[in-house]
Amino acid sequence: MALTFQRAPAAIAAAVAGLIALPYTGVADFYLSYLYVVFFWIALATSWGILSGYSGYWSFGHAAFFGAGVYTAATLAGKWGLPFLLTVPAAAAIAAALALGIGLVVFRIKSLRAEFFALLTLSVTYVLAAVVSNTPLDGGGGVYLSNVSIPQFGTTVPGAIYLLGLALALAALAVSRRILRSRVGAGLLALHDDEDVAEVKGVPTLHYKLAAFAVSSAIAGAAGAIQAGYLGYVTVGETFSITVPLYVVLMSILGGARHWSGPAIGATLITVALSLFVGGGHAELGRAGVALALVVVILVLPQGIAPSLLARWGRRKSAAPAAVQEPPKVVVMKPPAVHGATGQPLLVCRGVAKSFGGIRALQGVHLQVEEGEILALVGPNGSGKSTLINMISGHFPLSAGAIELAGARVDGLAPHEIARRGIARTYQIPRLFDHLTVLENVRLCAFFGGARETSGEGDAEALARRWLAFTGLEAKADSMPPALNLHERKFVEFARALAARPRLLLLDEVLCGLTPTEVDQAIAMIRKIRAGGTTIVFVEHLMRAVVALADRIAVLDQGALLALGPPRETMQDPRVVGAYLGTAHAA
Amino acid sequence: MSLTLLAQSAIGGVLLGGIYGLLALGLSLSWGLLRLVNLSHFALAFLGAYLTYQLGTQFGIAPWFSALVVVPAFFVAGLALHALFVRFEVDEFASMLVTFGITILIESMIQWFWSADYRKFESGYAQESLRIGPLFVPVLELAAFACAAFLAIAVWAGLNRTLLGKALRAAAHDGPIAAAFGIDATRLSYLLAGMCAALAGVAGVFIALTSTLAPSQIEAWIGVVFAVVIIGGLARPLGALAAGVLIGVSESITMAAVNPAWAPLVAFSILIVLLLWKPKWL
Amino acid sequence: MLLEVRKLHVSYGDAPALWDATLDVAAGQVVAVVGPNGAGKSTLINAIAGLLRARKGEIRVDGKDIAKIPGHRVCEHGIAIVPEGRRLFTHMSVIENLELGSYRSGARESGEGSLERVFSLFPVLKERRHQIAGSMSGGQQQMVAIGRALMARPRLLLMDEPSLGLSPAVVDDMFRIIRTINERGVAVLLVEQNIHKALEMAHHAYVIEQGRIVSSGKPDALLRNPRIREAYLGV
Repeated sequence: MALTFQRAPAAIAAAVAGLIALPYTGVADFYLSYLYVVFFWIALATSWGILSGYSGYWSFGHAAFFGAGVYTAATLAGKWGLPFLLTVPAAAAIAAALALGIGLVVFRIKSLRAEFFALLTLSVTYVLAAVVSNTPLDGGGGVYLSNVSIPQFGTTVPGAIYLLGLALALAALAVSRRILRSRVGAGLLALHDDEDVAEVKGVPTLHYKLAAFAVSSAIAGAAGAIQAGYLGYVTVGETFSITVPLYVVLMSILGGARHWSGPAIGATLITVALSLFVGGGHAELGRAGVALALVVVILVLPQGIAPSLLARWGRRKSAAPAAVQEPPKVVVMKPPAVHGATGQPLLVCRGVAKSFGGIRALQGVHLQVEEGEILALVGPNGSGKSTLINMISGHFPLSAGAIELAGARVDGLAPHEIARRGIARTYQIPRLFDHLTVLENVRLCAFFGGARETSGEGDAEALARRWLAFTGLEAKADSMPPALNLHERKFVEFARALAARPRLLLLDEVLCGLTPTEVDQAIAMIRKIRAGGTTIVFVEHLMRAVVALADRIAVLDQGALLALGPPRETMQDPRVVGAYLGTAHAA
Repeated sequence: MSLTLLAQSAIGGVLLGGIYGLLALGLSLSWGLLRLVNLSHFALAFLGAYLTYQLGTQFGIAPWFSALVVVPAFFVAGLALHALFVRFEVDEFASMLVTFGITILIESMIQWFWSADYRKFESGYAQESLRIGPLFVPVLELAAFACAAFLAIAVWAGLNRTLLGKALRAAAHDGPIAAAFGIDATRLSYLLAGMCAALAGVAGVFIALTSTLAPSQIEAWIGVVFAVVIIGGLARPLGALAAGVLIGVSESITMAAVNPAWAPLVAFSILIVLLLWKPKWL
Repeated sequence: MLLEVRKLHVSYGDAPALWDATLDVAAGQVVAVVGPNGAGKSTLINAIAGLLRARKGEIRVDGKDIAKIPGHRVCEHGIAIVPEGRRLFTHMSVIENLELGSYRSGARESGEGSLERVFSLFPVLKERRHQIAGSMSGGQQQMVAIGRALMARPRLLLMDEPSLGLSPAVVDDMFRIIRTINERGVAVLLVEQNIHKALEMAHHAYVIEQGRIVSSGKPDALLRNPRIREAYLGV
């Protein structure tokens, strides 16, 4: 969500300048160290949020990357005498490499459950601790950095550490904010809500997860290096303890993990609260308190603090005079960039078959869809219609046969690749990204869709708005999907599918659950879409609508294509009547 | 390395695997049948161990009698925790976070009462071993293994041979249809939750008898037992035992052959190999 | 009247699936509910079986309203379901599935007798009673599903699209068996896409379209009604 502060940038700049100047004002080292701890946790929590908050892959292993950074600095500076400042980027690089290694193994696992990822990353921490403890990296006795000279930037050592911590915290916040506002952030938030749908809409989920993991770990590694300098003496037990993962998880949940500022808010609150309530010698009491807070927050306030704060800011924004409502104008969209001569088959299915275990869902279907036509896919329950749609869009691999789009094979491609080639689909029960606004839902598909004419973010937003206008939803642009009714959600699905500028649009039982008036509106919309040049294949049960809308009807029965032709003719074919009503009626 | 050393390590590993399997049992059942990832299982087990230690050291109560107190008390604690999950409609992932917090809470509580010092429960049997040829089989560890095997088999029988167990499995597979045939999934889930907590108590008694106790140990076991649960298969009691033994033996042999300190790596490596080779395991 | 459904409203989230449904099933009757796909037939059956909660309306069995009782208490009123797609406990054997069918306390005592009756109806299940349910063919699985429901000693059997995914020969056998079951005194509420088969054996039938019951009457009368044809075929 974009927070636009009107007068805030100036205030923020002033605050930052003040913070940078602080060590030079003669403030006591104690306060500088105190603030450093706050910055430290801000950096760690914010970095955690970049992967886990945005994508929903909650890592319990943040300590592993932090620890990797600590020991990089300890080894390079403490043992080998390299300049301290160099160890910080080195630590970041090593932590990032570790994350990439783990991610390449783990993120490839299909349908990786969130709990599993969490526990796996926790295990990595213990393993790393064992490795560090048993090799010359630490060897069991800890590593001293007391001989390491830390550049002082004209102030005391604590002041220098303070400045490094400040720099890292600011960097973490800036990076997190930048990611959130970019298409990577949109992709991560989308895959958080529904990874399958995000993939189908064109988000390269694996790459984004790896990138977020690497960036998150790099910052944690850098924090580790700076912390090593601060402490002067590091041990395996302290570094790889449960403290880091526990605290960052709680801080992010408390503050709100989906926003770039949430973890920082939580970090500040918790660090200050801990220092107020807990004296020096009661570390375990502090941990117990944090743990208790975690339990309470998960049960009672699962979304965190930031969302409610944002809601209040948002309300202040809308108190400003509403923009003048333009009368809804007829929006005519340019047809997709490439369309061949009419009469050319756009989609060809050759002998497409699919078996699930022993069940033959589809048997050798041959089908050609002409460019610019509306083809209806009908048939009794269990006939294989949805399976065929799912295979064209890439949800399931084929058991046999081939599917070609404009002459090129698309079966076997990853779903996001298929989306790029120009195939879009809607779902029978709308699967919107519930934590993104309607506009963001559509904008995401504009970012990642096929035949892209736009590349910048600004363009995607404008495109999204135009498609919302096309579907009559411009007034709902800033609403969240759960607030819309079914009809509106289905139209958002339309807008999303169209924003990807598809050559072929697959509609899966889009009329299901609509009132007769809404059905009429949907039919009009489908006609409008085809007028724009998109080819449409739709699965539908409402036969009256099918007959009215379709150029041709394909009837499937028991996994095989039974009949194909113009509506009336096909539905009166004796074989079709027999399949639906039973053979006694065929006459 | 001599054959005797190898065999001795293997025996040690098998017996250790029994404890792993025992700890994994409750977690595996809970995760597989209730869809709740109960990390506090570990902390609960250690709490049971400390209580056994305390009752034994301070009041001279034999561990077998302590068990009679601890296990039923834990059953009730399991019911209480489950009530919390039901009341707040906690899903699978949230259950992990909540129990993560509870684990730390229990750990802190343990540290508060018993300090971070290492504690060893002197039960008097610690030095006794059976001799089989040149090999020693420590009596306490053997008892732990026997108990683990007995419980694994008993749970397996319960799940597969009794109507109640089958009803539980049916409810986990398809709750609404099971309900349509009269199976009250909620009541059964309470029963199972209590039983899992009771199993933690049993594990705790044996941990007190066979290991040195320290609050930091709790975390050390999480990684290994998690691997055992995954490798053994969710809700598979015999699998948990077998996986425990596999990892126990691998660790022991690694410790004897290479270096004791590398043991934590073993479980994790086996898990990674399995994940790469057969990702469908999940 | 064994079953009385009055003005039932059911929604999936905010998507309404069934409006104002009203129907009756007398003891010992076969009642068919037909209609095109997506019309709401399964929703109706699932609501009666307690798998779905109705937003409004009543479901009375022998006069007692069961619409609001917890899901696991529904079978105590003599209702058993053969769900769409069978929904067997696929990891368990045939006999275990059957045993679970009689889980409810009212049915367990007569468990032995019920089992014999099911085996006499489906001899192939007796042969394969230790086979894992998930490894059986579609037709055999359907037998297990029907057997499981019969084990609950129901007075009313709810059947949701029993012919789904079955070859025509198997479908014939199955409807013969349904007739036998009905002759033993069990009322059947049958939801089917295969109009011909369903109306052939029903005493009474209802037609559902787009979430509403639009016609009701004797099967012959409905068969001659052109509206049904239009609802299914659009022409």
